[in-house]
Amino acid sequence: MGWSVAYWLKCLETRKGALQVAVIEKDPTYSKASTVLSVGGIRQQFSLPENVQMSLYSAFFLRTINEHLGVVNEPPIDIQFNPLGYLFLASEDGAAILEENVHVQRDQGAKVSLLSPTQLKKKYPWLNTDGVAVASYGLENEGWFDPWALLHAFKRKAISMGVYSCHGEVTSFTTSSTELLTPERELTLSRINYVHVQMPNSLENQPVECSLVVNAAGCWSGKLAEMAGVGIGSPNTQDEIKLPVEPRKRYVYVWHCPDGPGLACPTVIDTTGTYFRREGIGGNYLGGLSPTEEEEPDIQDLKVDHSFFQEKIWPKLAHRVPVFESLKVRSAWAGYYDYNTFDQNAVLGSHPLVENMFFITGFSGHGLQHSPAAGRAMAELILEGKFKTICMEKFSFNRFITGEPALERNII
Amino acid sequence: MLKIIIPTIMLIPTTTMCKPTQLWYTTLIHSMLISLLSLQLFYPSLQPIMNFSNHNLQQNQTSTPLIILSCWLTPLMILASQNHLSTEPLSRKRTFIITTIILQMLLIMTFSTTDLIMFFVLFEATLIPTLMMITRWGNQMERLNAGTYFLFYTLMGSLPLLVALLSLYSNTNSLSILTMQLSPTMLKNTWTNSMWLLAALTAFMIKMPLYGLHLWLPKAHVEAPIAGSMILAAILLKLGGYGIIRIMSTTNFLSKTPYYPFMILALWGIIMTSLICLRQTDLKSLIAYSPVSHMGLVTAATLTQTEWAYTGAITLMIAHGLTSSLLFCLANTKLRRIHSRTLLLTQNMQLLLPLMGTWWLLASLTNMALPPTINLMGELTIITSLFNWSNTTIIITGLGTLITATYTLHMFSSTQWGELPQHIKIMTPSHTREHLIMTLHILPMMLLMMKPELIWGPLYC
Repeated sequence: MGWSVAYWLKCLETRKGALQVAVIEKDPTYSKASTVLSVGGIRQQFSLPENVQMSLYSAFFLRTINEHLGVVNEPPIDIQFNPLGYLFLASEDGAAILEENVHVQRDQGAKVSLLSPTQLKKKYPWLNTDGVAVASYGLENEGWFDPWALLHAFKRKAISMGVYSCHGEVTSFTTSSTELLTPERELTLSRINYVHVQMPNSLENQPVECSLVVNAAGCWSGKLAEMAGVGIGSPNTQDEIKLPVEPRKRYVYVWHCPDGPGLACPTVIDTTGTYFRREGIGGNYLGGLSPTEEEEPDIQDLKVDHSFFQEKIWPKLAHRVPVFESLKVRSAWAGYYDYNTFDQNAVLGSHPLVENMFFITGFSGHGLQHSPAAGRAMAELILEGKFKTICMEKFSFNRFITGEPALERNII
Repeated sequence: MLKIIIPTIMLIPTTTMCKPTQLWYTTLIHSMLISLLSLQLFYPSLQPIMNFSNHNLQQNQTSTPLIILSCWLTPLMILASQNHLSTEPLSRKRTFIITTIILQMLLIMTFSTTDLIMFFVLFEATLIPTLMMITRWGNQMERLNAGTYFLFYTLMGSLPLLVALLSLYSNTNSLSILTMQLSPTMLKNTWTNSMWLLAALTAFMIKMPLYGLHLWLPKAHVEAPIAGSMILAAILLKLGGYGIIRIMSTTNFLSKTPYYPFMILALWGIIMTSLICLRQTDLKSLIAYSPVSHMGLVTAATLTQTEWAYTGAITLMIAHGLTSSLLFCLANTKLRRIHSRTLLLTQNMQLLLPLMGTWWLLASLTNMALPPTINLMGELTIITSLFNWSNTTIIITGLGTLITATYTLHMFSSTQWGELPQHIKIMTPSHTREHLIMTLHILPMMLLMMKPELIWGPLYC
C-alpha cells in the first residue's frame, strides 16, 4: 500500500520533482507483511459500490500493468494473472442479500451472473448444491495474481521515479500542538514535525523532517497511530478514539487432491464462509476459513494450527465438494489481516486532529486487490485536496467519531 | 564613517554581555539605531563638495546606498532569525548574532574603503561569516555541499583578482580609487590588458552571478537559513556589481572586445534563468534563481559604461536587494508553518493568512517591476542604455521582462490561490514580528519611490 501511494504521488505530481517522497520499511524481506502472505485474489463482488469501483480499476491496472509500472531497460512485469471468477454460494437466508449485492455490482459496471442450483450442477458437476439457493459468479476482472510481483513492480517503478527507500523502523514522532477552543470543548490539534526512524541493528535514531505522513503500516497501523497520539487522550474526547486496526491471524492451507474439481475450479466461497481455489495445474488447491470471534488465534507469531483445518475446514469442504473427502494437506502458512474491528472496511483519509497524518489501512483482507485504486485515491487527496476518480468519503476516519460504520457484507 | 563602524563593533560585546531575556530586542534596537544613524550618510551625496576626514574610508554615491542597505538589513536579519533559533541554547544564539554583526561590519568597510587591496581583503573576508551561517545553521544536509560550492566558486575567481590588483599596483604604485582615475593606465589595446581585465572581473562576475558561473547561487540561497538568504540576496550579490563599477570607472579601459563574452553570457542568462524559474517546484529555489536574471541585467549595464547604465545598475541593485530579501522572508514564514518548500503543498494561503497575502502581492508586483517602483526605474534605465548600445538587445531584455512577469505571477498564484491543502487544518496566525519585517522591507521601497535620486549613483543627469 505504501509503495502504491508513493508511485501514485510521483505519477500525479504536476511537475517532475515537485514532491520528495520517502518510504520507510521495517522489513525489506517482507517476512510478516500481509501483502506477500496473501492468497492474491481479486474480485468485484462487494456490496459497497466504492469497493466494486476500486476492484474494477485495479483489474484494469493489472491488465495494463506494463504500461503503468514498466521501467525502461528492465524486464517486463509478469503478474501471473489467472482469470477465473469468484463463485459465491448463498443459502436460503443469504439469497436476498446476494441478489442485492449483484444488483449493486452490475450498477457499477461489473459483469456478474446469477446461477440457480441446476445451472450450478450443470456447470460444476463436482459441486454439491445442497442448501444452495442461488450463486453469483464473476464473469470478468476476477482471478488471482502474484502479490510479490505487484509489490516489487510498484517498488521498482517508484524508485525509478525518485522515491527514497529507507530501511528502518519508525519509533516515534515529534509533534507540535495547538489548542483550539470550541463551544463544546477544547480541542488539541497536533502536527507531526519529525519522524524518528531507528536504523536496523543499531541504536541510532534518525529524525526525518517531513510535512506529511501516510500511515500504510498494515496490521501495525494502530500501533503507529498511537505513536502520533491517536487514541491516547482524555476519555470521552475525540483524542481518545483510536485507529481500530489490529492484526488478525488467518491460515491458508494447500492440499493435493488428484480427482478434484480440475482446471475449471473457480474461487468458491461457501455459505459457511469457507473458501478454496485451484493452485497451479498439478491438482493442488488452497483455501481457508475466517474463524469466528471466539476462535481468533493468537497473533504473537505466524505458526499454523493444523487442527483448525482438521476440525473446522475439512468437514465443510467435504460437504460442499464430495471429492475432497480424501485429500492430503501439503503445506500451510499464516498471515495477518489488517483487521478493522469497527466495520472491516478501509480507513482512507486524514485524521481530524493530527493534521498531517493520512491513513490508508484497515482493508481487512482485501487490501492487495485494492492497492492500485486506493493508492491513486490517496495521491489525489494529498495533491488536489479531494478525491477525483473514486469518492472515498465513506472510508474517512470521521466515521469512527460519528459512529456510522460502512459495512461490507462480502467479507471472506 | 567611524561613527557607524565603532557602534557596530561594540554591538559584539553587547551581545555577549546582555541578559538572556533581553538578547533579541537589545540587539534589534541597537542595530536599528545604527541603521537610522547611517541614513545621514545620504547627506553629503546631495552636496557638490565631499569633505572627509579619513583618507581610507570614504563613500560616494555608488557606495552610500549599499552601505545603508547593509545597515538596514541587519535588524531585519535579527528579526527574521528569532523564530528558528528559539530552540537553540543561549551561547549559540549569541554566536549567530555576532556572526551577523561581523558580517555587517565587514560589509560597511568593504563599501566605504578607498583602497582596492583593502576592498579585496574585505571582499574575501565577508565569505567567512556567510559560510559559517550557511553550514552551521542551514536546514538540510545539502548545506555542506552548498557551502563548498559557495566558497570555492568565489575563491577561484578571487585569485586572478589578487594577481590583477598586484600587477596594477606594480604599475601605478598606488591602488587608491581617488587617484587612479587620474593616472593613465590600460590605455593600450594589448592582449595583456585584455587578460588583466578578465582576471579582474572574473571574481565579480562569479559573485553577481553571471549566467555560466551561477551554480553556487541556488544551492547557497536554498540551504542558508533565512538570515543568510536575506543577506546573500540583498547585499553579497551586489558586492560583485559594486566591484565591477569600481574597476571599470577607475581603470580607463579602451578596448571593447574583452567585454563581449561577459555581455553575451549576461544577456543570455536573463532569459535562461527566467525560464528555469518557470520550471521550479521548490519555492525557495524559484526565489533564488530570480536574482541571477536581474543581476544579468545589471552586469550587462555596467559593462556598457554609460551614465544611464550606471544609474540603472545601482538603482536596480538596491531595489532588487530589498525585493529579494522580502521574498525570502515571505517564503520563510511559509516554511516555518508547513516544513516543506514544495510549491504543490502550499496552496491557497490567501484564505488562511490574508494579510500575508497582501505582502506576497506587493513583493510579486515589485519583483515584476511594476511602475512606479524603483525596480521599474532601474530596469527601464538599463534597458534603454542597452538599446542605445545595441538595438537588438531590446528583444532579449523585453523577453526577459515578460518571462519574469510570468514566473512571478505563477509563484503568486500557486501560493495564494488553488485548492486548500488537506493537511493544514490549523495554522498559527502571522506574528506581528513577521508583519514588521515585511513592512520594514516595503517602507524603504515606498520612500525611495518618492526620492529616487538618493540611489541614482554619481552619474545621474
